[in-house]
Amino acid sequence: MGVIALDRLEVRLGGRTVLNGLTGELRGHAVGLLGPNGAGKSTLINTLLGFHEPSGGNAKVLGLDARTDRMRIRQSVGYMPENDSFIGNMSGVRFVRYMAELSGLPPAAALERAHEALFYVGLGEVRYRKISTYSLGMKQLIKLAQALAHGPKLLILDEPTNGLDPTARQRMVQLIKDIRKEGSMHMLISSHLLRDIDETCDEVLILNKGRIAAISNIEEERRSHRNFIEMEMTGNTEAFAGKMQAIGCECARFAGGRVKVVMPDALSQRDLYMAASETGAEIRRIQTRRDSLEDIFLRAMEYEGQARPSQPQAVAAGMKG
Amino acid sequence: MSVFEHDYRPYDGPTTPLRTRPLVLARYGLSEAWGSKITVGLAVLALLPCVVDLVLMYLADNPVAKMLVVGGSKVLEINEKFFFGVLETQCWFALVLAAWIAPRLISFDLGDNALPILLSHPVSRFGYVLGKFIALALSLSYVTWIPLLVLFVYQCYASPVPWAMSHLGIAFGLVAGAAVWIVVLSLIGLAVSSWVKWRVIATGAMFAVIFVPAGIGGIASAILRTKWGLLLNVPVVMSELWQRLIGAPDVFRGKMDLPMPAIVGVLIAASLACVAVLNARIRAREVVRG
Repeated sequence: MGVIALDRLEVRLGGRTVLNGLTGELRGHAVGLLGPNGAGKSTLINTLLGFHEPSGGNAKVLGLDARTDRMRIRQSVGYMPENDSFIGNMSGVRFVRYMAELSGLPPAAALERAHEALFYVGLGEVRYRKISTYSLGMKQLIKLAQALAHGPKLLILDEPTNGLDPTARQRMVQLIKDIRKEGSMHMLISSHLLRDIDETCDEVLILNKGRIAAISNIEEERRSHRNFIEMEMTGNTEAFAGKMQAIGCECARFAGGRVKVVMPDALSQRDLYMAASETGAEIRRIQTRRDSLEDIFLRAMEYEGQARPSQPQAVAAGMKG
Repeated sequence: MSVFEHDYRPYDGPTTPLRTRPLVLARYGLSEAWGSKITVGLAVLALLPCVVDLVLMYLADNPVAKMLVVGGSKVLEINEKFFFGVLETQCWFALVLAAWIAPRLISFDLGDNALPILLSHPVSRFGYVLGKFIALALSLSYVTWIPLLVLFVYQCYASPVPWAMSHLGIAFGLVAGAAVWIVVLSLIGLAVSSWVKWRVIATGAMFAVIFVPAGIGGIASAILRTKWGLLLNVPVVMSELWQRLIGAPDVFRGKMDLPMPAIVGVLIAASLACVAVLNARIRAREVVRG
């Protein structure tokens, strides 16, 4: 059973279709939710939490129906919202205890867990201070602490590194890695920062304009694209891409003359130069590297563009999604 | 998790039943409300009339004390009219207390955008409002039906003649009248606080919601020469209701004489309007149309 299962999920808000026919199953231990702004990431999270009613299809979280089992889902989920969301008039420990009690912990256990959670995220020394006096990084951490305190089975983090300076971001990423390594809970991490997802997740769901652009196992993707070449080219790159596909490569073109090629083992870099020579293209820079999440993301975006003729035509060709 | 090891451990202990979660909100709400010295000050102030009433009851029930202080006057007769006056006084103190407490219960949550995080826990929007309602209703009980019942019980005990059995209707009227006022006041307080994020303005808005329609109703009544405008006058409507519930003499008779169904209808309509406001405002996420 997947952590999250979507079956033709459709959500309409304010007369607009925000999520359109999402179908897929997420099984990863840490699932990244990627997409440009407005792709529907937060709407999907809100729907999973029962804040929005699906207008079609359904979604299951930990095997529970998001439409009918809202309370049981919320019991099993820890949620860290994207924006500031706390009670500034309360001390850190009181706030986390309050949230833990709302999740069903008895008062004494809630207090104990609140202290532990605050120490765990690194707010132990400031736990008696009012939250309104916390810095932005501390506010992010206390949202994480309250999401962890009741020991959820699924932790949903909506833009956890939002607004953090590099040090605080690294600290948050390390915390997420530690939680993942501990292994007792699944995570769904929404972000538009590829690097965050790349560092913390093993599976990624990419949304674009309310549709699933890709569901991908990041590790498998990396393994399958070892012979991956990135080039900067001038000249007739379109013909070059066509030529490379003709000889069995997967090839995608991006803005600024960037071309990415995945070559079969039988071919070598010499074939690249020959193809460039034959098609009148010039290779200005060439780099062999592993596939990155950025590539998976860009490819998904390109394919999404190709799928809809009304959108600007994508230039990617031949690469698998 | 462990404070010493700073690592994470899952929670596998017992959990409380889902139906008790609004009580958590109520408990924290009460704590928030009564954590203010102003709340305590107002509550003490609200009990002062009860102390005065208690002294008056003592004088009325003690022939020697009565003779010494007021002579043979019948001013200190303890009856329906006396308790109607006490109820009215306490209920208006309850308005002041509600205007101070209600914004503290909700405005903090709205001001800091705490609703998404609160409602992401296993508590529904109804549960949230119920929890806050319980906190406010309990706070208002402290200055309304509880001290009033104490006064009634004291009168039953101190009266030199058999009094209790023939005046049980007063006890019912006190509890029922205060309960209706608490429900209406709590709903108005929560609705206004959910609408106005700023606490001070919300406090002022509560008085405005009670008294501005009264003024409009009075103007309408004067212009149209009808009594129905008085239905917008909450103080008058409630006085009529309390008077009938306690069985006090009709002090307003002939001036308005609003029918009971109309009074009940107005109160139900006001309550439903408040529920509609709460339904619109207490949401984890707002949906922007367009």
